[in-house]
Amino acid sequence: MTVAVRLAGFWGTVPRPLKIVVSRLFMLVPQLFGVMMVTFLLVRLLPGDPALLLLGNMATPETIAAFRERLGLDLPVWDQFLRYVWSALHGDLGTSIFTSQPVVSDLLERAPATLELITYAMILTILIGVTLAIVSVVRPGGAVDIGSRIYGLAAGAIPDFWIGLLLIYFFFYMLGWAAAPFGRIDTFVAPPPVVTGFYTIDSLIAGNPQAFFSSVGRLVLPVLTLAIVNAGALMKMTKTVFADVYRSDFIRHARASGLPERTIRRIALRNCLPPIITLVGFMVGFLLGAAVLVETIFSWGGLGQYAVQAVVNSDYPALQGFVLVAAAFILVVYTVVDILYELADPRIRV
Amino acid sequence: MRAPDAAPLLAVDHLSVDFGEGAPKALSGVSFELRRDEVLGIVGETGAGKSVLARSLLDLLPEGGRIVEGDIRLDGASVLGLNEAEQGKLRGARIALIGTNAKALLDPVATVGAQIARVLRAHRACGRREAWAAAVDLLAQVGIVNPERRAKAYPHELSGGMAQRVVIAMAMVANPDIVLADDATLGLDATIQVQVLDLLVKRCRELGAGVVLITHDLGIIAHYCDRVAIMKGGRIVELGEVGRFLQGPRDDYSRTLLDAARVRPTPMAGQGEGAAQGMAEATHAKPLLDVRRLEKFFPIAGSTEVVRAIDDVSFSVGRGETLALVGESGSGKTTVGQCLVRLLECDGGGITFDGVDITDMPAKEFRPLRRRLQMVFQEPYVALNPRWPVRALIAEPLRLDPGLNARGRERRVRQLLDLVHLPLSLADAYPHELTAGEQKRIGIARALATGPDFVVFDEPTTALDIRVRAQIIDLVRDLQAEIGMSALFITHDLNSVRSLAHNVAVMRHGKIVEFGETETIFAHPTQDYTRMLLSAELPIEQGLLQRDRAEARRLAGTA
Amino acid sequence: MRATFTRYLSRHPGAVIGLVLLALQIIAILFAPWLTSYSPVEADPLASLEPPSLAHWFGTDVSGMDIYARVIYATRINLLISLTAVAVAFVIGVPVGLLIGFYRGWLSSLVMRMFDFIQSFPIFVLGMALVSVMGQEIWNVSIVLAVLFIPMFARVIRAEVLSLRERPFVAAARCSGATDFSIMFRHILPNALTPAIVQISISVGLAILLTAGLSFVGAGVRMPTPEWGLMVSSGAQQMILGVWWVSLFPGLAIVIAVLSFALIGDMAKDLSDPTMRDRR
Repeated sequence: MTVAVRLAGFWGTVPRPLKIVVSRLFMLVPQLFGVMMVTFLLVRLLPGDPALLLLGNMATPETIAAFRERLGLDLPVWDQFLRYVWSALHGDLGTSIFTSQPVVSDLLERAPATLELITYAMILTILIGVTLAIVSVVRPGGAVDIGSRIYGLAAGAIPDFWIGLLLIYFFFYMLGWAAAPFGRIDTFVAPPPVVTGFYTIDSLIAGNPQAFFSSVGRLVLPVLTLAIVNAGALMKMTKTVFADVYRSDFIRHARASGLPERTIRRIALRNCLPPIITLVGFMVGFLLGAAVLVETIFSWGGLGQYAVQAVVNSDYPALQGFVLVAAAFILVVYTVVDILYELADPRIRV
Repeated sequence: MRAPDAAPLLAVDHLSVDFGEGAPKALSGVSFELRRDEVLGIVGETGAGKSVLARSLLDLLPEGGRIVEGDIRLDGASVLGLNEAEQGKLRGARIALIGTNAKALLDPVATVGAQIARVLRAHRACGRREAWAAAVDLLAQVGIVNPERRAKAYPHELSGGMAQRVVIAMAMVANPDIVLADDATLGLDATIQVQVLDLLVKRCRELGAGVVLITHDLGIIAHYCDRVAIMKGGRIVELGEVGRFLQGPRDDYSRTLLDAARVRPTPMAGQGEGAAQGMAEATHAKPLLDVRRLEKFFPIAGSTEVVRAIDDVSFSVGRGETLALVGESGSGKTTVGQCLVRLLECDGGGITFDGVDITDMPAKEFRPLRRRLQMVFQEPYVALNPRWPVRALIAEPLRLDPGLNARGRERRVRQLLDLVHLPLSLADAYPHELTAGEQKRIGIARALATGPDFVVFDEPTTALDIRVRAQIIDLVRDLQAEIGMSALFITHDLNSVRSLAHNVAVMRHGKIVEFGETETIFAHPTQDYTRMLLSAELPIEQGLLQRDRAEARRLAGTA
Repeated sequence: MRATFTRYLSRHPGAVIGLVLLALQIIAILFAPWLTSYSPVEADPLASLEPPSLAHWFGTDVSGMDIYARVIYATRINLLISLTAVAVAFVIGVPVGLLIGFYRGWLSSLVMRMFDFIQSFPIFVLGMALVSVMGQEIWNVSIVLAVLFIPMFARVIRAEVLSLRERPFVAAARCSGATDFSIMFRHILPNALTPAIVQISISVGLAILLTAGLSFVGAGVRMPTPEWGLMVSSGAQQMILGVWWVSLFPGLAIVIAVLSFALIGDMAKDLSDPTMRDRR
């Protein structure tokens, strides 16, 4: 009792931002546990012997027996799950049937490519989506407002893989403006030494303009593909949020108090920040899914393409590992989003 | 009062506003003048064009609205056709607006100090630090205790009254010539309303500013204004000195308005003593409803403590008797009502209805009893399912009567519409197509559908226009006389209690602090709290008398 | 009622476009054999990659199959998968959302946590993994999509119920003797349906896009089933070489299908709300 009271008292003295971060990080643990349960069950859903599926057709009876032993397939399911969690936490996600490499090293090798793609796509998506939303709310009935309405409707209906192909046709085949859709950098340009894994940043660090421009050129079409489709959704949702705020009583009162329009727009945007942060978080999840498709088209060599290969080749360890990493990544993104949301909105009690 | 200046501070000349070609005019030919150091009241019911008028003065009409005729002059110079920058120099600087529901007028994600400083810096070139210090100073001037700390608070951490003070401080930033208060105290408790209005008028008098007080409450006019304009359908139908107006309005509409706003004659004048006797008998006989030591607690989020919403409350109501439960928001009066009809489970004590203990009765057993124990809900619109037509809404409680078939229910619906004086044609209307008064009547019809013995009325007159409020009071009085039901009135409106209830119980912080016969409480309150509540009331009758006293109090400087 | 609808259409050209596009799809589904003389699955090695002509309106693909015929017949497959998935998700998700919104207890929290887990996975990634694990059959795609959509419907309804159940009209209904069942289904559900209807149109569109996307990466239905995503995929390699027709037409079909449901969703939203019907 006294301990609890003292703890509660201590918690009361913790500054609000720290409180938010700590409580959110605490919730991440059971969530990750749940994600591992789903990925574990994913392979259990398969009819047949998991050992055979996870080792592939080339496995000999001896290796299968050894593998069964290691997975503990004769143990109760609960024990097997704990073993899976144990090895996953130690960085062991099994061996890919297709590449014969540990899944973890395969994933680590490909992750930067996908992250670089998603990062730039996200930035462009936010720039396009939020700008269009604000302009069309501030000037209702204007050209931007009407144009963005049509764009929002169309963007929601266009498949990303299709628009990617059309972009390739127009800008690579017909006009010859864009770089070839084969990977992250021209074949005759050596990739820069790895620091961050982002070719654009690494080439700047290495002072290699050739690699920089080559990688930027390769990024243009895939980033554009992702942004065109996703900016429409972000714009529509931001518009709703921003319009509500822009019409609200306190904005009208700010105007009646004689604040300049620029300040008023800033106030309105600041009030939209929490919901926009949430939307951006959701978009990251969407972009990760879309990246699977776009990487395939542009032979990007990232996680998405790896996952597609795994599916096509029935490479279950690789698929299982990819799903786990993708879900864990999204969970971390959502956690960051929640933290930022609560920091941005003083009304949330923590 | 000073002699009027040569040129009026504000002159509105034949102002007309509409919302698009062919649409009816929101304002038509409105003319008035405002002098320095004058408080002009503008009164009207919903839709009279009060708010449109206020917003047209600031050139902030709602979307689609435009001034089609007339002129607005400030110190003799027209303010129409100014560009955005010039308007900016006007808004907040020379004309300040104080709106309704202050909490919604403040930016929810900025501290109130920063918000005041923001407005300050829009009107005067000064540094951040200087602006902040000035903001704290302004907060102190509007009577906020501990202004340094409060300046760092966010709007959601303030009470409604405090938020309204912040908005007033914001309006005073640039020492404006004109202050427009648009229903500035709507929704505040009466005691807070008086404090806020006292403060507002005092500050404006100090500045010598002209005040336009827009309201639907003639009590406020009687107590605070020098002149009054009555608006109806976008026109000013009467404009004159308040004293003259109270003694005899010239216009027919303003006369009905004034009559409706006056306190109704004492309840059941003839029955007064009979009721008292009935009361005496009732205490001997078995009361219809008996509440003993009722308790209800609400947990506070993130804490082991609780709010004692109802804290040891006991009372009883006899047959044919009406009790009023009076208190300010947060006093627990509504919670008591919800416990009585079992919308909330109480945490202690007991409720006996007609000899049956209903405190812990299972929902299934209690359901048949609902026929006899009904409730009229506070907000008329939100208490009606928006997807149901009136016919279905009124018929719903009739399902509690197993002896009634579809045709019987249909007949009863028609009877009930008639009872609450609504035309049959409304039976197929949806709630959003009705006026507030009609919605309220539907709510009453629903509660009376099953012929209950006891009805709880939750805030029956709040948020209604003057005439509608009077009509509802008359309706309820007629029903009391016709049906002879017992009732509990939950309200903060002491004036309505006076014409409706035999007895009054005053609640504060979950406890009943005073109980007695209505007239006795009004004439000789024994508790300080009751006296404070009564003094916060602004009845028109005492308006002229109290005006002098209020003036004296303001001059004495009690904020 | 009919007058209201006509007036609505005259003011909302988008709704008219949506209805026309939907009619096109219904015609394609019902009259596919009469709209083309080609078989959607028959290869003609001699007519590989022919550009659009009078014989082959939309051209032919690598194996010489007529693209126009395949686009028409694929309408059946794509809409069958998507509409089944959304219907199943609606029928399960709405009552579940209603129950977990109305009754708050450990069971409701548990169900909600479960939905959280499902939704914390990127939807396309989980869909791809599940279909691949269950086997690449048409019905499996439908089932997987339904499973992924159930939490969406339940969540939308639950959020509505949570706010509606605190509204005074629910308390008033209780005072009028309404039972839990009556409050849930007669009072709350009709008021909560508008967002669910919007969700239907969003979900059908999403289902069409996901189905096509899954097939595109080879994780959905297999060749030679006429399916739009698969068809776009079969032309992907040729796009770089300037052969545009193989991917263009099935892609357009996807756009038309998704667009029509989005437009009709907007219309249904406006018309389902009695407080909106007369306005605008």
